[in-house]
Amino acid sequence: MCLTHNFWGFFVPGLANGFLYALIALGYTLVYGVLQLINFAHSEVFMSGGFAGLFTLNWLIGKHHPAGMSSVGYVVIGCVAGAVGGGVVAYLLERVAYRPLRRRHAPKLAFLISAIGASYFLLNLAGKEFGRDSRPIAQPFTQTQTDPLFKIFGTGVSLYYAVIAVVAIIMLVMLDRLVNKTRLGQGIRAVAQDADTAGLMGVDINRVIAQTFIVGGLLGGAAGFLYGLGPANVSYTMGFTPGLKAFTAAVLGGIGNIRGAMLGGLLLGIIENLSVACISPSWVDVVSFFILVLVLLVRPTGILGERLGRSA
Amino acid sequence: MLNRRVVLTVVPLVVAGMALSACGSSKKSSSGGSSSSGGSTAAGGNKPTFKIAYQGPLSGGNAQLGLNMKFAVELAINEANAAGDLPFKLEYTESDDQGDGKVSPTAARKLIDDKSVIGVVGPAFSGATKAAEPLFADAKLATVSPSATSPTLADGGWASFFRVVADDNAQGPADADYAVKKLGAKNIYVIDDASAYGQPLSKAFGDQAKTDGAQVTSESAPGTTQCQAGQGNAQQYPALATKIKGSGADTVFYAGYYCDFALLAKALKAAGFSGNLFSDDGSLDPKYIEQAGADVAEGTYISCACADISTNSAAQDFITKFKALAKFDSGTYSPEAFDAANTIISVLKKIGPSATREQVIEGLKTVDYKGITKEVKFESNGNIAGTSVYIYQVKGGKITSLGLANT
Amino acid sequence: MSAIRDSEAIRPPQSAGGGRSAWQRLRRNNNARKLVACIIGALVAAVITGPSGSVSHPTAGFTGALFHPRVIVFLVLGVLLWLAMVGRETLSENIKTVTAPISMARTRWLGDPKVRYSLYAALLIFAIIYPRSLSSFWQGVLVDQIGVYVLLAIGLNVVVGFAGLLDLGYIAFYAIGAYSCAYWTGALPIKPVFHLNPFVSIVFAVAAAMIAGVILGAPTLRLRGDYLAIVTLGFGEIITIYANNLQSVTGGAGGTNVVPHLSVNLLGLKYHWKLDSLPYYYLLLVFVVAILVMFRALENSRVGRAWTAIREDEVAAEASGVNTFKYKLLAFAMGASTSGFAGVLFASKVQTLYPSSFALTESILILVLVIFGGMGSLPGAVLGAAVLQWLPQFLRGKINQADLFLYLGALLIIMMIFRPQGIWPSRRRARELAMAEAGLTEADAVSGPTAGEVQ
Repeated sequence: MCLTHNFWGFFVPGLANGFLYALIALGYTLVYGVLQLINFAHSEVFMSGGFAGLFTLNWLIGKHHPAGMSSVGYVVIGCVAGAVGGGVVAYLLERVAYRPLRRRHAPKLAFLISAIGASYFLLNLAGKEFGRDSRPIAQPFTQTQTDPLFKIFGTGVSLYYAVIAVVAIIMLVMLDRLVNKTRLGQGIRAVAQDADTAGLMGVDINRVIAQTFIVGGLLGGAAGFLYGLGPANVSYTMGFTPGLKAFTAAVLGGIGNIRGAMLGGLLLGIIENLSVACISPSWVDVVSFFILVLVLLVRPTGILGERLGRSA
Repeated sequence: MLNRRVVLTVVPLVVAGMALSACGSSKKSSSGGSSSSGGSTAAGGNKPTFKIAYQGPLSGGNAQLGLNMKFAVELAINEANAAGDLPFKLEYTESDDQGDGKVSPTAARKLIDDKSVIGVVGPAFSGATKAAEPLFADAKLATVSPSATSPTLADGGWASFFRVVADDNAQGPADADYAVKKLGAKNIYVIDDASAYGQPLSKAFGDQAKTDGAQVTSESAPGTTQCQAGQGNAQQYPALATKIKGSGADTVFYAGYYCDFALLAKALKAAGFSGNLFSDDGSLDPKYIEQAGADVAEGTYISCACADISTNSAAQDFITKFKALAKFDSGTYSPEAFDAANTIISVLKKIGPSATREQVIEGLKTVDYKGITKEVKFESNGNIAGTSVYIYQVKGGKITSLGLANT
Repeated sequence: MSAIRDSEAIRPPQSAGGGRSAWQRLRRNNNARKLVACIIGALVAAVITGPSGSVSHPTAGFTGALFHPRVIVFLVLGVLLWLAMVGRETLSENIKTVTAPISMARTRWLGDPKVRYSLYAALLIFAIIYPRSLSSFWQGVLVDQIGVYVLLAIGLNVVVGFAGLLDLGYIAFYAIGAYSCAYWTGALPIKPVFHLNPFVSIVFAVAAAMIAGVILGAPTLRLRGDYLAIVTLGFGEIITIYANNLQSVTGGAGGTNVVPHLSVNLLGLKYHWKLDSLPYYYLLLVFVVAILVMFRALENSRVGRAWTAIREDEVAAEASGVNTFKYKLLAFAMGASTSGFAGVLFASKVQTLYPSSFALTESILILVLVIFGGMGSLPGAVLGAAVLQWLPQFLRGKINQADLFLYLGALLIIMMIFRPQGIWPSRRRARELAMAEAGLTEADAVSGPTAGEVQ
């Protein structure tokens, strides 16, 4: 009924939404993998990426309208700026709010409170320094979002969605390679499986954890930029809901599991958009949490099961 | 590598800094000194000192809206003092209620306890007003709200309650009539932001539009976190826009604030929607155009129970002075807060240096003050008298007035 | 398979080997590092307390804070602090000689039930007399900000502190209690079967909250720590969304009608609570003390021991014949009913309910209160709620109000770095933590065993 006439019209934005969730969810899942902690401040990492992208592009683009190859350049620059912003904040977060607690072997819930504190701090610092308004990012392409780039089953895919998909896929593939093929990835997997033993084998645990935060921050920060680029704008409070949803997505797919986070993100994004179509935006959260509960009751560790170490 | 001991050293420092700033900023923040126990005679002469307070959100998610009003109140007080013809001295004080009905009684007690507070501008939000007004009524302390629009507030029977904005019952039906009769809307998609402001307004609009013979579809899209209006996700708008486009609606009415409206407008444009956009006074803000983009916002209709202030010379003066004081542009409800403060000041002027809280309430009942947004006169239940709804349209990147809705 | 240990000792050999650069030597120099940290801290403090920027001038706040003479004050403070730190070794010896007898006396006294109970009595008398001398503002704070949250924190303490279940949707039960009260007193758009006095509605509201707790808990308590957290979080969100969307039932975002104040009219005893905060305060005090006594008894009973066993090691508890599911459900239901009870008091005090009063941030706030106070410790929960809820009110007007949460956020991080166990941890928790710090066991079972382990 609600989907028969325009299924793809809802599916395509849902997929784009899902890619963003997946990018953010990976930050949660990576940190959970190595520390078994919910990094509640990750939504502020995302927000920092949004601001970094906003400032960089607004400064570079100003009033003129870029076109052609320069558009691609601006998108790449924006992504890099967002990723760097996210990465830096994630690193600082680990250094200030987590590492001192780790040295004390603080209880897990102390980490949670520290993360909530960091979240409040970063959120309000951004509000104080950058104003408490929502701002659009200067558009890097001349083509308006209306004009479809190409069509899937009769539904136009706009440039914005194409950009999200391309950037997300590149980053996801790179992450997958990173975790599976590189020395850093080996370290991450080792720490995730058994931190003590990894330490005994000569893995510098602190370094691996810091690098894990940075990798998660890079992905989250780029997602922040992409999120602000679309119809969402950038503001100091932008992180809360996407962060919560991405966390849900990570649990849905199996927290600590990289491919689970990707799958969970995509699924949740699509489910949400379809429930906007079929029910109402005000019931979306009910639907997504209901599905989460159902999945967890059937598979208590998420769709793909947890464990960064083995599955990735 | 930092170790714990190093962090151990940093932290007391931050604490020390905080303590320091606590002393520092209390000196700065209120121009007239903020010690609440102050005697009622100024140091200079025998003029008594009255405090006019602002109560509204100053921290938390709605802080910006609160700051819009706070500086307007401060400005009104500064100007009145600077005019030099007052038989008393005015001071500004504030109480933060975070726009939250849970916090507002506490915030209200703070003002009630301070005996030199003679009138209050606020509470800003309807929920906060509902929770705090019984206390103000009990203390016989007048409150003039610049922004609480819930219709039920006037039924509370609180003698202390006044407001300088029209309630939602005035705006919704007038908007619906305008949309159907003037703009010829036949199929209207009504969206609210699921807030205490948007929900009743969209209902009032929808009911009237149905009576006028239009086809109405109502939907609730929770305000988003980046707009500090709720916990919705901005990514809901593209899908919602596709849905609206598919419904064949010729007009979209949005009951909510400019920030979310801008996001929805962008998404609608992206989905290829070409009908009329219509919103309420929550969207009457130049930031709507800035955030949506001039090409998206072009042609949007916006209603408000307030007259156009951009053509009013007194208002121009307000806009410049506000910016000088606040370091940001005046925004939603700034002019209303300015009027509310000036209304209280005009009452005080009439009563003179012996004014009491009760006299201020009595004075407000009969006040007739010409403000920058409207002529301020109250009905017996505290509502603003004779409100007419004006329609505005975005033309060439500017909000321009189209005149009264019913002419 | 446990939290990550400090790897200082097991650093890869190359960094420990010779041939260090001057930079590395500097980094290894403890005092130099402290100085750098002090200066960074000073600059952070300067930025926090400095002017604000805006989106068009994103650097204005930073430059205004850092390139301004006031930064010198902060730097001087930072250096002074560093000097104090460097000289601390000798200082800490002196401190120890002073504090040792005190802490010894404390353990001796608190071990003595006579001293302990007279201390409690003295505190109670203080809690009865002192508020009378406060201004109506502080009396209001005592009820609206502190009293209700103390009750909530005590309830959550049972769930999180005693049984070790991470519940992020705790506020939902509070909402259920409050809305039930509104329903039975006729303040909702849908009218009740029969009208009740708010006092009588407590029974129904607590029952409703408890039933909701069992319904939510029964299927989900089999999930492990973090999964339970997200499910309860979702439940909390769903309850708020329902309250907001079902306008014809709850009044929607615009709020309910007026809930009547509490009143008693029984056997000649007639009393009507009004706007004044003090009578509510005493009522709350009675309830808080009663619930504290009850939970204290519970903590030391068979049930309390079962909870401790579950918290410390669920598998071992199960193996020794503890019906873990039953006790977890019991803790969950007790927390839920306490929360529902607080909801009734809240409803009749504030009189109008809004869905926004029950947002996720409230659940998180209560969790923060419990952990800040000291998880698993009843006095800790009371103290945590009192301190953290008092602080923002104390800061009211003293700092730029818009930056309030900036300071609170910093405070939370600082607190967790220095005292992760909270301000008043329970003795058992303190021991568990000490053991964890020594690397003997896991600090808590809230998140269950780490990496690996199939359920």
